[in-house]
Formats: sequence, C-alpha cells, structure tokens
Amino acid sequence: MKSLHQDLIRLLSDKQVLTQPEDLMAYASDATYYYASRVPDAVVLPVTSEEVARVMKYAYEKEIPVTPRGAGSGLAGGCTPINGGIVLDMKRMNRLLEIDHDNMTAEVEAGLVHRQFTRAVERQGLFYPPDPQSAAVCTLGGNIATRAGGPRGVKYGTTGNYVLGTEVVLADGSIIKTGGKMVKQSSGYDITHLIAGSEGTLGIITRANLRLLTLPPVNNTMVISCSSLDQAAELVSAIIASGTVPAMLEFLIKLAIMVMNNYITPPLPLDYEAYLLVDVDGTARQVQEDTKKIKDICQDLGIPDLRIIEDPHEAASYWEARSKLYPLMLSIMKRVITEDITVPRNRIPDFVRGVQAIAADIAIQIGLAGHSGDGNMHPTILQPEINDEINAKAKQAIDRIIRIGLDLGGTISGEHGIGLHKQEYLEWEFGRTQVELMKRIKTAFDPKGLLNPGKIWLEGGDAE
Amino acid sequence: MKKIEEYAEQISRCSHCSYCQASCPVFMEDIVESVLPRNRIEVILRSVIDKSMPLSPRALEIIDRCLLCTNCTQGCSSQVPIDDIVIAARSAISMQTGGLSGVKNLVMGKMLRQRGLTALMGKAGAMVQKVGIATKDMPPLAAKTFDKFYSGTVKAEGETRGRVAYFVGCGTNFMYPDTGVATVNVLSRNGIEVIIPEGQVCCGIPSIAEGDFKSAREMIEVNVSIFSDLEVDAIVTDCTSCGMMFKEKFTKVLETADPLQEKISNLTSRVWEVTDFLNHLGLREIPGPMDSSFTYHVPCHRAWSPTVRHAPRQILTQIPGAEFRELENPERCCGAAGAFYMAHRELSEGIRAHRVQDIKDNGADLVVTQCPVCRFYIGSALKEQGTEIVHPMIMLARAYGFNGC
Repeated sequence: MKSLHQDLIRLLSDKQVLTQPEDLMAYASDATYYYASRVPDAVVLPVTSEEVARVMKYAYEKEIPVTPRGAGSGLAGGCTPINGGIVLDMKRMNRLLEIDHDNMTAEVEAGLVHRQFTRAVERQGLFYPPDPQSAAVCTLGGNIATRAGGPRGVKYGTTGNYVLGTEVVLADGSIIKTGGKMVKQSSGYDITHLIAGSEGTLGIITRANLRLLTLPPVNNTMVISCSSLDQAAELVSAIIASGTVPAMLEFLIKLAIMVMNNYITPPLPLDYEAYLLVDVDGTARQVQEDTKKIKDICQDLGIPDLRIIEDPHEAASYWEARSKLYPLMLSIMKRVITEDITVPRNRIPDFVRGVQAIAADIAIQIGLAGHSGDGNMHPTILQPEINDEINAKAKQAIDRIIRIGLDLGGTISGEHGIGLHKQEYLEWEFGRTQVELMKRIKTAFDPKGLLNPGKIWLEGGDAE
Repeated sequence: MKKIEEYAEQISRCSHCSYCQASCPVFMEDIVESVLPRNRIEVILRSVIDKSMPLSPRALEIIDRCLLCTNCTQGCSSQVPIDDIVIAARSAISMQTGGLSGVKNLVMGKMLRQRGLTALMGKAGAMVQKVGIATKDMPPLAAKTFDKFYSGTVKAEGETRGRVAYFVGCGTNFMYPDTGVATVNVLSRNGIEVIIPEGQVCCGIPSIAEGDFKSAREMIEVNVSIFSDLEVDAIVTDCTSCGMMFKEKFTKVLETADPLQEKISNLTSRVWEVTDFLNHLGLREIPGPMDSSFTYHVPCHRAWSPTVRHAPRQILTQIPGAEFRELENPERCCGAAGAFYMAHRELSEGIRAHRVQDIKDNGADLVVTQCPVCRFYIGSALKEQGTEIVHPMIMLARAYGFNGC
C-alpha cells in the first residue's frame, strides 16, 4: 500500500492522506460497527471538488473502490468500506457558499455540518426543515445521499424535498452540475433526485443547492400521555385524519422517556405506557388553532393527559433528549438495532399492534419510537445481551417486522437508507424487475463498480 | 486509582454514535476522525490495554492530542468517562516510558508542590525558553503573589452569615492575585468570614493531566490534611479546574483502600466555586451601578456543579446598569487547557481563534470567566482590541467599589 500512499500524496498533499493503522481504524464503519467493519487502505481528506475529481480519476484508472463518508453517524452501514480501498472523508469541504435570500435558496459544500448550516440560516429568519436526529454532527452531503429526515417529515418532508441541484464528481473524475437554484425544473431526466438517495453508489456529491423556507414565527411543544401503545397509535391516526398537520409528532414508549429523562428538565413522570411528543408551528393564530384541535381530539378519545410545555428551555430539553434517543438506549442495552420502516399513516395502529405481537411471539424486547406523524416508525430491537440465541431472535423479528410493514403498503426505509443492513429486503419491496433496473442505472454511472461497492442490493454493483 | 485495564468494559460501551464530533475541540479543529474521542479510546484499548496494536508514535500522538476539556464526557450519552480513560492511559504510558521530561517535571512537580518558590518559577521560565517555548506563551507572573497579600483569617463585615475556607489555586496565587483580593473582599462584604490556610499547595490537576499520579497524591495529601478538619460551611475556590479536581478527581486519583479516601468524602460535599457559592447564598447588598456590558465564557471544567455555569450570569446581572450579552457558543473551549497550548501551539491557536471571533462579534466591554488559564489565553489574544477579561469576582468587586482589582 506504500505506492497508494505516495500516489495519493502526489495528487493532494501530505496532510490530506492517512494510511497509518491508528487513523484507518477510525474509518472502518458507521455507527453500526457491530454489523460490519473493515479498515480502508487509505483515507483522503479533500477540500475542493477538483481534488475529489483527481482522486476519482486515479481510482478509476487503478480500479480502486471509493467510499464517500460524511460524519459516519449513519445507521445502515452505508459508509462502511466493506471492500477496502479509499475512503473519501468529505468533512473538510464544509463551506456555506451562499444564502440567497432573494431566491430562498442556499448553496453548500457536501461536508457542511447540518446544525452549523441551520444555525446560519435561522439567524437570517430562514428555515431548512429536514432534521435528522444526528443534526449536531451529520453532514448535508450525507443527508442528501440517504434522503435523511427526522421528526419534521410529517409537515415538511425530508432532505430529498429540499435538494434543487447538486455538483457531483462521477466515477471517472468528471464533474457535473445537476439542477440549480430554480424551484421549477422540467428539462431532461431528474439526475438531482437520482443522486439524492444513491448512498454514494452513483457519484460523489460535492456541492448542493438547497431550498429554504421562512422560519415559522411561533411554535408550541406538548406532551400527550396515553394509557397504551394502541391508544397512542390511534391518536396519531386521528390527528392526521383531522387535517391538523403538526410540525413534529413523535411516538415514544415509557422506556424511551425513561432514558430521555437524563436530559429532560424537569424529568417527565413515568405514569403511562406511551407518549406523543408534539410540536405545532406557524403563525400565532394557526398554532393556537392547531393546539386547540389536538386538545379536542385528545378529549374525544379519552386521553389521560396533555401538557403544554410553556418554558422554551424545557421544550428544547425534550427535543434534545429525543435527538439522543439512539445512543441513550445504548446506555442500558448492549445492542440496539433501529429499523426505519414507514407505513401509510392510517395503518400505524395496525403496525404497532403487529410489532407488539411479534415481540410477544418471539419473546424479545422491541422498542417503538418513531416519527409517527409521517408514518416513519422506528421499531427497535433491544438486546440486553449479545449471544447467538438472541441475535437469531433479533434477525427473525426484523424479517417479520419488515414483512408486516410491506404488507401494510409501507417502505423498508423512510430516512436511513439501505446501506448494508436492509439490502436483503430490497427485492421484497421492489421486486426483481425494479431492482434489476436500479442495477442498470448503477452500471450506467459506474461501469467498473467502484463507487461504494457492495451496498443497496446483495449481489454487488453489476447488472446481471 | 483505577488502572487503565479496568476501563476496558467502559470503553466497549461506546456506541460509535460519533456525536462527540460536536463536542471535541480538537476534532473540530483537525476535522479528522483519528483524533475523535471515539477513536482515541479505541486506540487506548488496542495499544495500551489489550496491546493488539503497538504503542506507535501515532498512537501516542492521538492520546496526547487531547485537552482533557471533558466536553466529550459531558455530552456522552453512553456515559463513557473519556477524560478519566485518557488520564489513566497517560499514567500507564508514563510508567512504561519513565515519566515526564525535565522541564515538565520541574514545573509540575517541584514548583507546584512548594508554594512561594518564586525564584524557581523564574528558573523554570528560563528553561522553558531554552527548549523553544516563546515567552509570550508563558503566563504572566505577578510581582507579588497572593499569599503575600492575605493569609490567616479575614473577618466578615457586619453580621457574620457564614465561614469559608479559601483554596487558592496556582492561577490566582502566581498569575492573578487580583482574583484572590477580589474574592476575599467580596465575601467579607457579604458577611462571610474567610480563612486562608497556610501551607496549601497546587490541587494536582496539572500532574494528573500528565498521568503523574505520584505527585498528585502528594499534593492531595497536603491539601486534604489542611482542609478536611476545618470547621467551615464551605471550601471555596475561584477556579473551576481546582474545583473539579477537589470534587471529582481526588477520589479517583487514589487507590480505593487509601486511608485518605474517608477524609476526601467528608471534604468534597463542601467544595464550591466561589461565584456559585455566593449566588447560592444570595448577595447581602446590591452593588453599585456599573455602566458596561459584559459576556461570559463558561470554562470547560463546569460539570462538577450543575449551577456553576449559571452563577456568574445570575449574580452579575444584579449589578444595576450591567448589561449581559450572551456569547455565541458560550461553552466553546478556548484551547488553552493548562499547559496544553505550549506543546500544541498551532492547534490551540486555531481553537482560540473561534472563541476570540465570538467575543469580537459579541462586542461586550468586558468578558468574565472563572478559569485563570482561559483568562490568560483568551486575554492575550484580546489585547489588541482592548477588551478586558477578568474573573466574575473582580467585576463584582469593582461594582462594590473596591479599587486595585
């Protein structure tokens, strides 16, 4: 690998290439290190699109796999370099190039951290709604590559809905611009939205044009306590059916609140089985109306408790705690496998009942915490221990949960992407014909199969 | 102390969520995951604990490139005590490699263990210069150390509301006696009798940062023997790092069976940062007006008291006319971290530049912070623009009309 190191240094610089084992080990996986990990042969730290292009051209000639990487906080194994090769760490391409107030758009480099971007945008009274829970660290490039979302999906959609254009380095090192800052685009194939969600398999996203909204002036957070999971699920469906569109509508079981209470100040008493954490936003009048509507629905359904969180610090503590739920669960469990099945919202009660039945049947603990407002449930396999027996049960549970989600008309991933974890289920959702079509698209972009190989479907990158 | 091997289980609790990217100042400056706390403890696991990898120069560099600011530990959802792990690893390494370099040993060991040796301080300075550390990097030494101003007991003004023992950190004693003078006067004005025991030495935190537990234990023993038997309502310190050392690290530095442990547990419950203590008690009289704006740089070593970060805001906004302006990222590290900035000059200056920019953007007349090293390090970058940075007690003392601090 010495020649790889020297070649890459020649292309970039000494300080932008890592090949020592203590460095490489930091890039061996995403947050799902237990599922798969492999150290790459080199890590490259580009700061310009031209540098990315140089690396791609070199890798193309030498036929070296390249895996792009944002924060590495993913939950699907998407940036795990399972075939070794080069990891392109995009985090140093972190400039906010432009906030265009007149056009309500922004242009960013792919490595810009989500929260740094939203802070800058919000300082100008603007709003970038997609809110993956790892916003403190995750990059916008990674968000686009996975079409990441979060609680605000219910009202505002996810990353894919806000990408207007991209700059992409293709497998052979050529650089293309797709889309732009226009909000209407009707020419040619929509490459922008093929790149969005491609998980690094079609090209390296280096820049993006993102759409912005006006920051809602008022919001209101409330916690609704429900006597059972079923009741909470019925309430979600009832709120959506009523035409009220909350900004966020989170479904949380008691166990989730228990660990979140590390951050919630003051902690929420654990008197009920399930909770909905709701936020409504908009004009003062709209917020007032939506709040009243939700209160009325709760009354009609005999919901035991609804608390409006008046203190903004307290409300913020709920949302901060929610954003840390995944690592918090790991403070009490040895392993936590989070699925992100999304079902039509009127089927949430069926899905919740189905998951509970599977948990009882297999005798395994399954947590339910989801962005329920958009149908994106996170059934979470909770393993207090790691051993063959419980691992096998977990696998069985995941298979069955995915089957139920698909039977209800859902999708296997609402926001995490497929990566390594869900590739065996891709055909369950799409059928053979459509997966083959995806593979042909892959081949058109990446004839040598070098871009993040081994992801999305099981067999690798080539069309059969 | 806990041996590094005993941390293996806690290291394995790391969830790899990588949220420490948002809290580690070194990562944010380097933007490379090798120095991320997640990887730093993994390197420790493999090259110091299970030795599946050699303790290479790169491994040493990754372990060394940590400020011990504790921000990762504070933010870690899996509650991995990352700073303790780095400290224990450094201790294991220094035992393997034969301890500290000459200069560090002189400064950390002799000087801080023996107060009043100002001549030695000068000598250390000369040696530091010899090995290539610029004089502008050296903290300013006070012409008259705090222990020349006060020792013994300072009576409360008016009716006595309480009685405290004052632990005077090295920062205040050698660099900023004005903080000590302000602290004594403000406490006395507020009806608190202040005992400044003789013979106290460095709290030991610079030693544990180097993994030198032996020196640290000697210092702890001296300080514990002085402070544990005093009949006082509280032991106050003006320094958040000394406070953290007393409150959290003393017990961790010593063996579980160490006879000092019992005395330490009696002592820790009474340890307060002085601003926090006074805020808790409440001001007896509202100070005079002050027509200026101020902002607050929260020191990193704050997690040992849930209220220490609020105290300066709450107490100083009681000064009529004083306008508080919240900093962007009030808890952002300044990059100094004890003597870290001397050995990692470029890195620390990069971290500091963000902090200084926040302060410039904020535009307040005065910055307050409880950490003497933050005060020195940020202050030396603020000189050009003339913004002053002081301990909250100094701002309060001025509002009470004390001159000379």
